[in-house]
Amino acid sequence: MNSLADNTIMLKVKAGDLDKMGLLFERYNRPLYGFLFHMTYQRETSEDLVQQVFYKMLKYRDTFTATGEFVHWMYSIARNTLKDQGKSLKQRVKHENTDDHAERLPGGLTPQEQLEKKQAKQRLYQAMERLSDSHREVLTLSKFQELKYQEIAQILDISEIAVKTRAHRAMQELKGIYEKMER
Amino acid sequence: MKNCEQYEELFAGWINNELKPAEKEKLEQHLDGCPACREELAGMQQLWALMDEAEVPDPSPKMQAGFTAILNDFKTAETRKKQASAGLKVQLGWLLQWRQKWPLAYTFAIILVGFGCGYLFFDLKGSKRQDQQMSALTTQVHELKQTMALALMENPSASERIRGVSYTAEIKHADKEVIEALLATLNNDPNVNVRLSTLDALTRLANHPEVRLGLVQSITTQESPLMQSAIADVMLKLQEKRSVKSFRELLKQKNLDNGVRDKIKATITQLI
Repeated sequence: MNSLADNTIMLKVKAGDLDKMGLLFERYNRPLYGFLFHMTYQRETSEDLVQQVFYKMLKYRDTFTATGEFVHWMYSIARNTLKDQGKSLKQRVKHENTDDHAERLPGGLTPQEQLEKKQAKQRLYQAMERLSDSHREVLTLSKFQELKYQEIAQILDISEIAVKTRAHRAMQELKGIYEKMER
Repeated sequence: MKNCEQYEELFAGWINNELKPAEKEKLEQHLDGCPACREELAGMQQLWALMDEAEVPDPSPKMQAGFTAILNDFKTAETRKKQASAGLKVQLGWLLQWRQKWPLAYTFAIILVGFGCGYLFFDLKGSKRQDQQMSALTTQVHELKQTMALALMENPSASERIRGVSYTAEIKHADKEVIEALLATLNNDPNVNVRLSTLDALTRLANHPEVRLGLVQSITTQESPLMQSAIADVMLKLQEKRSVKSFRELLKQKNLDNGVRDKIKATITQLI
């Protein structure tokens, strides 16, 4: 398991071996960037936020207790960092790369099928953007960060049942928005 | 269907593939009899699968570079902090050594440092603000003394009244109220000792014109030989020529003490 090693590494950082943070950055900069990107849909902002989160983990390394997983601690800090930036992120720009993504499609499909798939993806992006923050957060953590509901419960500091309910509501909302756009 | 709600959390587990076998079976049983839930779940599953296609753009190399810079800055700052604290430790160790070798000198040095720090601290705190506070405090103390003096002068006990009168000596700038109270005591207090003390206090305030006038006017109202002779002394000391008229008036009194009469006559001669 990576996580055991993660905690060990972070404890070394805590003990003063600051260079070890580089290892954790290598491991987690992409997932963290992904999470922040889904939460903001802004590339540069997400990059800045990743740096901020790692800075905070260095600065507040003494608060890491290794009672939980390192990733949970990291996402908690990421959430707080997002919250601090909250206001400026409210005026979110449109999804920067919608077209970009839609272009990259697997071959072997008829032009008609390709077009439909492209449209479906685009709709999904737009629907994701319109989700409320707390719904997008829970979906991002479970779908893209591949965390279990019980882990998300720790990060969000709510019960596992509450996470499942929220995840279900989030899917309902997403489906509602998506289907509206389909028409 | 109202009992569909209890399956909500199972929906979330289903799409995430997190259900235990028992939960899975329970949900499947429900789905068999509930087309609405079946449709709902199928739609969700489809979207969930579509989300796999969602791509996150690659972060730019700036991100890695930024992190490296942050880490290096942080390390430098930490090293500096460590060095500073290590330096402090060395110096403290040196001080402790000194303490063992020269205990008395050490103690004096520490006391000196303490004074120095205290001086610096109070000096740095802004003498201006301190001055303001000081003057505000002085004013308050002054007012307090005045109030106390006035209150004491009303006291039934003669010794308290004397205390009140002597307080006025500590008031730097006696105001009208105090002077009036003193003059009233001088003329009306039944106790001769209180009146004598009041005369003393007023003599110190003789630079106020109203005090001089009050003293002159008081000459004819005093009946005690002690007071009459004391006022004569004061008038002589102050060289108050206006008192001559009052003294002549006093001489007209038939029951005037003979000793006092002589003294007043002498005073008049000296004043003219």
